Amino acid sequence: MSFLLKCPNCGERSVYEFRFGGEVRQRPSPQAEPEAFVTYALYRRNLAGLQWEWWYHRGGCGEWFKASRSTLTNEVHQTLLPQDEEQRG
Amino acid sequence: MEEILFEWNGNTVTAKPGDTVASALYRSGVRTFTWSYQYGRPRGLLCLTGSCPNCMVNIDGVPNVRSCITPARNGLSVLAQNQNVYRGFDSPAVKRFPAAPPLSESPHHYQHAYLQFDVVVVGGGLRGLEAALASAERGVQVALLEKQPALGGDSVLVEEVQSHPMVTTFLNCSCFGLYEGNLLGAVQIDYDRPNAETLLHLRAGSVVVATGAYETQFLFANNDLPGVMLSTAVLRLLHQHAIVPGKRAVLIGDTARCSQLQADLEAAGVEVAASLPIGSVVSAVGDDHVRGVATETVTYDADLVVMCGPLVPDLGFLAGTLPQSVSLVGAAAGEGFTNQAYIPPPSSQSKNAIACLCMDVSGHDVAETIAGGMGHIELIKRLTKLGKSACQGRMCQTAAVSLCSQISGQTIAQVGTTVARPPAPPVTLGVLAGMRHHPVRRTPMHYQHDQLGAVWMDMGDWKRPRYYDPAGAGNQEQCVEQEYRAVRERAGIIDVSTLGKIEVKGSDAGRLLDLVFTHKFSTLPIGRVRYSVLCDEMGTIVDDGTISRMDEQRYFLTTTTGNVDFVQQWLEWWAAAAGMKVNIINLTAGLASMNLAGPLARGVLAQLTGCDLSSPAFPYMDWRQATVAGVPATMMRIGFVGETGWEIVVAADYGSHLWEQVLQAGASVNLLPFGVETQRVLRLEKKHIIVGVDTDALSNPYEAGMAWVAKFDKPDFIGRAALARMKQSPLERMLVGFELNGAIAPSDGSPVLVEGKPVGWATSVRFSWEKEKVIGMAWVTPAEAKHGAPITLRWDDVNYSAQVVEEVFYDPAGQRLKM
Repeated sequence: MSFLLKCPNCGERSVYEFRFGGEVRQRPSPQAEPEAFVTYALYRRNLAGLQWEWWYHRGGCGEWFKASRSTLTNEVHQTLLPQDEEQRG
Repeated sequence: MEEILFEWNGNTVTAKPGDTVASALYRSGVRTFTWSYQYGRPRGLLCLTGSCPNCMVNIDGVPNVRSCITPARNGLSVLAQNQNVYRGFDSPAVKRFPAAPPLSESPHHYQHAYLQFDVVVVGGGLRGLEAALASAERGVQVALLEKQPALGGDSVLVEEVQSHPMVTTFLNCSCFGLYEGNLLGAVQIDYDRPNAETLLHLRAGSVVVATGAYETQFLFANNDLPGVMLSTAVLRLLHQHAIVPGKRAVLIGDTARCSQLQADLEAAGVEVAASLPIGSVVSAVGDDHVRGVATETVTYDADLVVMCGPLVPDLGFLAGTLPQSVSLVGAAAGEGFTNQAYIPPPSSQSKNAIACLCMDVSGHDVAETIAGGMGHIELIKRLTKLGKSACQGRMCQTAAVSLCSQISGQTIAQVGTTVARPPAPPVTLGVLAGMRHHPVRRTPMHYQHDQLGAVWMDMGDWKRPRYYDPAGAGNQEQCVEQEYRAVRERAGIIDVSTLGKIEVKGSDAGRLLDLVFTHKFSTLPIGRVRYSVLCDEMGTIVDDGTISRMDEQRYFLTTTTGNVDFVQQWLEWWAAAAGMKVNIINLTAGLASMNLAGPLARGVLAQLTGCDLSSPAFPYMDWRQATVAGVPATMMRIGFVGETGWEIVVAADYGSHLWEQVLQAGASVNLLPFGVETQRVLRLEKKHIIVGVDTDALSNPYEAGMAWVAKFDKPDFIGRAALARMKQSPLERMLVGFELNGAIAPSDGSPVLVEGKPVGWATSVRFSWEKEKVIGMAWVTPAEAKHGAPITLRWDDVNYSAQVVEEVFYDPAGQRLKM
């Protein structure tokens, strides 16, 4: 893995500057059945294709952001800060 | 002329300037450079371009160095390899040479460099020079990589490239892989120092591959005898090193190249006995060196056999589909040459026709594998090991594919090739590892500890005093006991600056802490401190610490020493995911903190501050800000070690001043500084856990005996659902205290046995001066988790009997903390 990732604050950087935070998922509401939490804690979609993920710019601005990355090719289509969710393309 | 002297198997060899180690050895008469790995067949120079495995030697302790691309230098110690291999029951006596020194004892300088260029040109031959100049003329930054010590091609162009301000040239630099995002891995060797290599991480806008083509061998019986060479080797010996490679030569293969070579050889005074098509060759003749070539009808005497073999573009460092920004030029793109079609001679299926020189795979082995039904080229590779070693298939691929095509009747294209897998050429593990770099973190009081006789221990990057040995007597137990007694009977102080310190502030600060910790913090009164644990969604304890409410929207957190980055990122992630308005700041490096504890601690601290320290004014689990020893400080009344005590936090710059002042103020009561080892005994007597020591990656609060931390007084927190489920489920194991019979403390981590069967392990075991016994904590099954249950610890093949103890070992009522 050596692709470039565009931090919304710092621009395009080597992926080694970042920490991977897993796929973006919706945490169940506190009222949800325990099974929903089991699924949330243990299961991943493990998608082959484009998915939204969390990344943390450990070697830079120290900000968490979301990236749309192809798990097949590592092509990154879009990155955005969580507060800019409405810009999701 | 300057003379270069180096050692070959203990003998001195003389080299000329411009010589490689291989050319110097050849000039001095060496013909056998190594013996093959499997069968110990003698091997001599073959390609001289760094492509084959035949010239690999041990240089200054580094094995498998290609001597043909390594410049000869003064003082090298060169050893032949593979001399002690087993050569069968009736083999001649094994040749013995001095053993190679272990690599760890050899000097080395491995480092990494990170560079960016608009264009990277790989290969400094004619086409590489042209490409580099063309890009440089467009005004972009160009890197030109050449694996040999000099650029080649055209002397006018070389000068132009070397004087061009936009071109940076890297010599002795092999590119071993092209990775995602046009990241090129290359190793540049500095031959002026032993084992000095730099790993270049080159990020390129675009890449031009001008690596040319390499020549490969033909397959026939005894094709691996010393003296059977590729034409590249002969040309280099003749023209680069001015060495006449033999007296009488036979040329085999490509007619055009053979006739060119014949002219060159004859000009150098070498007689050319014959020029043969490969199909007519039956075998090379000879024992330790070639003596001739046999066809069906004639045997030509010769001491040199030259193969003008098939040419293959040198693209081993490329894998998969190339991005558009990568272009191939020249011979690397297959331009400028065509390989003559040839039929491998019948002897190519002989046991003495060696296809894979690295692993001694013969044409016979390949034919057998195909006959066995495993004719796919990838299967042949996996079954025979062909192409899986040092030359990475360079010498064997073409020969194996031709043979495979001949036997199976498929075309060359149908047979295909095996998948290229960089790194190619091979890379030393040393340069991948890079420099030895161990960052060390020291607290502001580090040098005071040193003067006090600290015996150090590593905690992550931090140095912490394990205990103090002011007399230098080397008796750990005595030192720890003195420190222990100081804390329990008088007062002690420990540097806790390494603990993580995080400030969380903002309008959602309380809401965030309510979400991530098991306890409720939005209702914690200002001025109070609370201990809590962080759980993940599985209910596993991931960290613990204290949280102090500083004001309405500001909290101060401590974390365990190694976990501060994790906790910070964890908090930041939940804040980001929930869109909370908070600022999370890691203050660890900016603050110094120390824990002053013991029955006389109050009197010591009172000498330094006007703050009312009495329990009614400053109760347990409160914090106050006041001036201490003349500097602004935050004091938190907490008690990890089980005595009345204060954790005093000041700006890092004041740390050493405050430490000194506390020691002076405590001198009258014989206050002692104490280390981590003493703290571990003190807290063990209180059964205070250390996350990561007493807990592991699966421990939950219920089994850790900390059910009280799982509060369900708020609708949601991370791990709530899991903890609610656990609360109603039977436990699988429990963390319990125990007392051991006997004075020897088994090691932490010793297995716990019941009736001879392992049921868990001991997490912490120490001698307790309170109990006058060895005590500890251990994971056991619920059946043993009751007071008095007998358990056995096993350590170093000895059994130690112990009993489970339910109560806390020291001050079970917790009164001393609140005095």
